[in-house]
Amino acid sequence: MSTAVETREPVTGTDAGPARTRLLTDVRLAGGVLAQAWPIETFIAVNPLGGFEDLPFDQAVSRAGEVLGARGTLDESLFRRAHEEGRINSEELLAATRRRVPAAVAADPVLIGGQPVAADELILSDLLNGEPAPAPVRAERMLSELLSPGIAAEVDAQAAKWTSAFLDGGQAGWTMPGREDGFHAAWRDLAARDRTVPKAVRESLRQIPERSDDTALWALERLGIETVDQRAYVRAHLTRMPGWAAHVRWRGEHGSAIDLVSWVAMRLAYEAGLLEDELGRSSGWSTEFQAAGTGSAPAVAPDLRAARVAAEVAPASEPSASELAGISSLLEQLPVSERGLVWLDAYETHYRNRLLHNLESASAGPAERPAAQIVCCIDARSEGLRRHFEKTGPYETLGFAGFFAVAISYQSLAGGAPDSLCPVLLEPSNQITEIPAGGAEALAERQLAGQRALAGAEDSFHSAEADLATPFVLAETTGWAAGPLAAAKTLFAGSYGSTRARFTRSAAPPAPTVMTVEQAFTFEERTMFAEVALTMMGLTGPFGRLVILSGHGSTTENNPYEAALDCGACGGNRGAPNARTAAAILNGREVREHLVGKGIEIPDDTWFVAAEHDTAVDTVTVLDRHLIPESHVEELSHVERDLVTAGSALSAERSRLLPGARSGLSPADAARHVRGRSTDWAQVFPEWGLAGNAAFIVGPRSMTRGVDLGRRTFLHSYEAAIDTGGEALETILTAPMVVAQWINCQYYFSTVDPVNFGAGSKTVHNVVGGVGVLAGHGGDLQLGLPWQSVADGNRLIHEPMRLLTLVQAPLERIDMLIERNTVLQELFGNGWVALAARGSADEQWMRHTHHGWKAWNDQEEAK
Amino acid sequence: MKSRSDLSQMARIEVVVSGADAPAVREIFKATGATGFTSVSGVSGLGHGGYHQGRLLFNDQATLEMLITVVPAEKVDALVAGLRPLLDESSGVMFLSDTFVSRPDYFT
Repeated sequence: MSTAVETREPVTGTDAGPARTRLLTDVRLAGGVLAQAWPIETFIAVNPLGGFEDLPFDQAVSRAGEVLGARGTLDESLFRRAHEEGRINSEELLAATRRRVPAAVAADPVLIGGQPVAADELILSDLLNGEPAPAPVRAERMLSELLSPGIAAEVDAQAAKWTSAFLDGGQAGWTMPGREDGFHAAWRDLAARDRTVPKAVRESLRQIPERSDDTALWALERLGIETVDQRAYVRAHLTRMPGWAAHVRWRGEHGSAIDLVSWVAMRLAYEAGLLEDELGRSSGWSTEFQAAGTGSAPAVAPDLRAARVAAEVAPASEPSASELAGISSLLEQLPVSERGLVWLDAYETHYRNRLLHNLESASAGPAERPAAQIVCCIDARSEGLRRHFEKTGPYETLGFAGFFAVAISYQSLAGGAPDSLCPVLLEPSNQITEIPAGGAEALAERQLAGQRALAGAEDSFHSAEADLATPFVLAETTGWAAGPLAAAKTLFAGSYGSTRARFTRSAAPPAPTVMTVEQAFTFEERTMFAEVALTMMGLTGPFGRLVILSGHGSTTENNPYEAALDCGACGGNRGAPNARTAAAILNGREVREHLVGKGIEIPDDTWFVAAEHDTAVDTVTVLDRHLIPESHVEELSHVERDLVTAGSALSAERSRLLPGARSGLSPADAARHVRGRSTDWAQVFPEWGLAGNAAFIVGPRSMTRGVDLGRRTFLHSYEAAIDTGGEALETILTAPMVVAQWINCQYYFSTVDPVNFGAGSKTVHNVVGGVGVLAGHGGDLQLGLPWQSVADGNRLIHEPMRLLTLVQAPLERIDMLIERNTVLQELFGNGWVALAARGSADEQWMRHTHHGWKAWNDQEEAK
Repeated sequence: MKSRSDLSQMARIEVVVSGADAPAVREIFKATGATGFTSVSGVSGLGHGGYHQGRLLFNDQATLEMLITVVPAEKVDALVAGLRPLLDESSGVMFLSDTFVSRPDYFT
């Protein structure tokens, strides 16, 4: 508790005085502990601890434990189970301990019952059997949490009520009056008349100022929170409902009429009013508030810890008090709160050693001009498709960020609001529109009319469901069909899905369309894009006659998390428009002529084909068929046939892990099975997405070809020899790798702490339109991935490990890039991402450490 | 050419922060009533943290941005009250200096 007192000066006028700007910054900084949270329809995987990335990973998870009450590593019981199952062995565990606390492992033996016991034996016993680490507890708490928990719950309930009312995406029959004036004004007007709060509180709410920042300052004053503590106090409010707070922050940053200042002002005003009503004005309140880091964290009693280890190691002995003190002194070198980090190190090391071992069996691809090339997204799911496709013929496969380097704002033929199809690290730079192909205007009009009719019918049905009067009529008129239809959707999901797709195609037959590439991009932009994209992925020749650029998306039913399965590099959207745009640019004659001057000669007979990989059903659909030259049609049909073979094999491989799939499915049966899952509206495991992701590999396919990487690695193609200045590698490490790290952290934290960082079970989710999901009917908004994205019951499907980045490039080039990019210094230097590299295939893997590059096999070296 | 006595004295604030922090700076500028600002993205340079790369091809958030505004002296306290705690928590820097303008109505 601070003793310094800063006086808030009176605030007047429309421009902010120092108190207002200080509050503005304090609220923003307090919000820095929250996860970034996009609306669920464009779910973007992020590091929930992104606000802590300037800290070493160990410190970040410790700080998150204090501030959020969240766990940063897997529960020890799960690590111990992994040890029992052989996923981690004792040697790996001891090696990890040695890296963390070398002096402890090398310490002199300790006496138990007069007999010496080796230090490493005691430490190992503590790791395997010691008293469990207590769960972290959120240390910064609101006054009402400390003084009257019922008031804290009431503040939360009011906050959830008004926030969901204000942000309702048109789902509710009642619209919050005054929304057009902004959240603070609308709430201020209604709250003072809200009879769900006591009369005295309503009286208090009538006094709140017009401006939201003034309301927050007014309430902080009434609560007795000093200016020096206001950031921590606001943080206590935000971390009480981190889901809603994170979403409100996103809204505020995207021009909405609600922001964190107005949201926290509402909470503070309720808290002040309710506390005053229940407890009366008390000058002593503020002494109750304590900022994080000033209290004591939950801990295991040292005596208890030592006795437990002694009983395990020497059950027949009766250790003396001094012997227990000796054990305790040794064990204290590895605090209970840090044991999880040792386990994590061992868990990661086991996987990483095996990965590098497996890479030794990689083989080169076709030596001559390949029959065809396919460029897939770096997404870990592409690895399976590429591996199976390469088995079907002399094909070459490459990996590149799925937005294909075109950061576009895209409007489809159907119109509507454009989508930003690029990583969220970027703003779209070019507006692409889908228009009818020449001569296809009438067909396009028919498609649009069909789509409008289908959408209108669906809207009418759902409106009738929601209306007060029509449900009875609806039941009379459509009930006879709705029941059997629902049964068919459930029992015959596959047949229902294909029938519906046929019906949709019949009602709105797709018309040939093109992208407005030449209008959207200048010639210079197109040539720059082409050169950058081809150089970044190392595709400068030889080119096949067909080069397929495959974006990806995932087709699922009744799945609020659909965007989480789409392309992260395309902002949580399907990647087909980017593939079509990139192919159109690379097929341009003038662009190719320009590239010759840059040393990239694309043969005249090479055609870039746009396609889309549906990761739910393992199919690759060729797009823009009407643009494909007749000379390439037959070859393309062969490639498509092989893609079907590869997709079915991939379905069989994936089915082995999909809950409910019969074991031993043939490729054909597996293909049918995944099609059924994809259209099953009751399926909570449509696919496993990026579960299992653990590594990001940058280099030529010869590093990985022929190796089963288990769909766990992001693969970015790269040829160091054609990137002598390092620009391509710099781009790969500062953009695609950052996106991969976000995805990795999203899966990691959703698994290690599903309550704080995950979204809980899908089975109790209620969707709040345009916002996210609630668990049940109220409470906080659920962030992160649902449990069914990372686990099947108690069985973890995702193994939570931090990303390992492997790069094949000169080490001095990598050093140069790290030196000039803070983002890389933080990710590699703070242990969020492990980095290993080798200059060429003939050299050994070197690990990047704080003390320079060390041989990978030198496992004793501190990281 | 006008002499300095014909010009109006104002305060000039330059801030260099990461692209991720730039919106916070713009928000403080706006809140204090600054009538405008200039921003230069992708700036490079050498600081106490070493050399900073300029523009990155596909990451606008990890590069440095310079934001410059000019305000009447009475608004400086509010600006500094908002900017200082922000810069205490990040690697950014702030420069405050006197400046002279010929069209004060543009800045008030």
